[in-house]
Amino acid sequence: MRLVEFQAKRIFSEHGIPVPKNILLESSVDLENLPYPVVLKAQVPVGGRGKAGAIKTVSDANEAAAVLDELLSMRIKGNPVQAVLAEKKVEVQKELYLAILIDKLARLPVIMASAAGGIDIEQMARESPERIVKKYISPSIGLSDYTVRYLAKRIGVEKHLRDFEKLTHSLFDIFQSYDGTLVEINPLAVTATGLIALDAKIVLDDKAAYRHGDLFGKLKAEQTWPGRDGRSRSEELAEEKGITYVPLGGDVGMISDGAGTGMLTLDLIQDAGGQAANFCELGGQAGTESVRQALEVVLANPQVKVLLISLIGGLTRMDDVADGIVRYLEQHGRAVPLVIRMCGTQEKVGKEKLRAVGIEAFEDLEETVRAAVKLAKEL
Amino acid sequence: MAILIEKETQVLVQGITGRVGSFQTEIMLDYGTKIVAGVTPGKGGTEIHGVPVYDFIEEALHDHGVNAVISFVPARFAKDATIEVIDNKIPFLVLTAEGIPDQDVLSIFNYASIKGTRVLGPDTPGLVSPGKCKVGVHPERVLKEGHVGVVSKSGALSYEVCKQLTENGYGQSTVVGIGGGPLWDITQRDALEMFENDPQTKVIVLLGEVGGTMEHEAATFIEEHMAKPVISLIVGRSAPTGTQMGHAGAIIAGKKETAESKIDALRKAGSHVAKNPAEIIGFLKSIGV
Repeated sequence: MRLVEFQAKRIFSEHGIPVPKNILLESSVDLENLPYPVVLKAQVPVGGRGKAGAIKTVSDANEAAAVLDELLSMRIKGNPVQAVLAEKKVEVQKELYLAILIDKLARLPVIMASAAGGIDIEQMARESPERIVKKYISPSIGLSDYTVRYLAKRIGVEKHLRDFEKLTHSLFDIFQSYDGTLVEINPLAVTATGLIALDAKIVLDDKAAYRHGDLFGKLKAEQTWPGRDGRSRSEELAEEKGITYVPLGGDVGMISDGAGTGMLTLDLIQDAGGQAANFCELGGQAGTESVRQALEVVLANPQVKVLLISLIGGLTRMDDVADGIVRYLEQHGRAVPLVIRMCGTQEKVGKEKLRAVGIEAFEDLEETVRAAVKLAKEL
Repeated sequence: MAILIEKETQVLVQGITGRVGSFQTEIMLDYGTKIVAGVTPGKGGTEIHGVPVYDFIEEALHDHGVNAVISFVPARFAKDATIEVIDNKIPFLVLTAEGIPDQDVLSIFNYASIKGTRVLGPDTPGLVSPGKCKVGVHPERVLKEGHVGVVSKSGALSYEVCKQLTENGYGQSTVVGIGGGPLWDITQRDALEMFENDPQTKVIVLLGEVGGTMEHEAATFIEEHMAKPVISLIVGRSAPTGTQMGHAGAIIAGKKETAESKIDALRKAGSHVAKNPAEIIGFLKSIGV
């Protein structure tokens, strides 16, 4: 889960990393007393806000009201803007870059810093990698003091060494204690009085949610304002039940018992001239109840004309899957045709259970996909 | 020959008394895998399908030689269980758990590399050398002994492809599931290197997907070091940017992470690139193995 800026800044603040004075605007009532000039920043969990025109400086309440309306009507990379952060404008001398993240190929946390902040770091990594200083961090040793001093020298903040040390250790502390996969300050500004984080990005590892009490759930809830998030019933239901679901806009509903075969099935649907309504996978070890819930999620989408279920279980047992499908049909009836490919552990029992409710499972996946796409076109 | 496991490999099952552990142990035993012991804390002294159960790995090692461990311990207990495996200097661990936090996985890999344990996974279906040994959860009916090495991130996708290989008469040397990511100890590149050096393997099928950049590393290895033919299939061609397609590793964040760029890189490296499992069979026929 990527946190929104105001959440990340709150966490920074709590850990002693300086951020500009800010306030989250939930309605235009607050605008009179802001310390103008202020920067208004759309709060969405994606990058590229600057380029999208979603960060603007305003000098009075009238201008602020107009810009606020404009921002709140925007969508950035598909994400509706639901809130805006107002922030005191800071006089900047120099912009730096600082981040701690997981390097997947090296299989280690890495700290990255650059004297050129405020830029697209991926672009810089491609075009001038020598401007980024990288140091790996051993999970058993942690962030060493000399590494921090070395980075400070390389990016030219030795004048603010004490501040930089404190801030860098705080950043590593957040990375570890929140189960971050990335914490980033871009830009980290040098001002007349010291260092300050102008932007804040934190990505949390969803897999670690279980060991943070209800923290991740609360942060997630804070990112959505009821009625403003534009989510479908299927998406809400999927989140509630913890089911992997991605809407794709077509009319062939899709459920698979593995991520890889799910992606293959989507590719085959496209190659057969069809359009998938969604991606939904059961995660390799599905029980009866999660199968029933997956059908509820996918079929809550009224665009679905045919439901294609792609099964080739190893850990997932076909008898369990068939029970889940049958239970769904008993509760909801059969509003759309089900086209099912069933293969794998306990498939004989599974196929018999489906036959008992009048469904003959397919054997070949490509044939199954063609049948589903054809049916969707006829309906 | 095969890679990583052999007919004589002696296996310990960690988490043998759970629903999944016990069910899969029975299937592996039926397949002929030499499962010599199981471990579940608090269940020492009992038996599962005739396999003796111990409280600790160290106790099992008093009575048995163990070359490999397959762990069915759930994600939130996996780090501790894994440290026990590594402390006991087991050379090879198959880590099936899905959903281990990344920072735990980093600690596991770091400790394993210091002590000399190779880890397959996490989130892996394991591996099987058909006709010899299965340390995994692959459905038996899709498998057949032969000369095709298969390496896959996804379990289910490897079953899908093996089903077609087997039905068309192409048996497999070893089928390795490296796991859904986003972190791996044994990578596609590592598996390719092992297959290149394995006399039983004549051709390799590489099953990749969108997300991450590992397929580029594999492509470089193919270009620079491989003499055996490699047939690749990259799934997720139709996946939109920025959404996570099930596997923790399957999310397109940069250009190198798209199916298109991986397909390009593999093709340039000299790999055949199939669009679907049926095309893999076509390539095998044209190569003539």
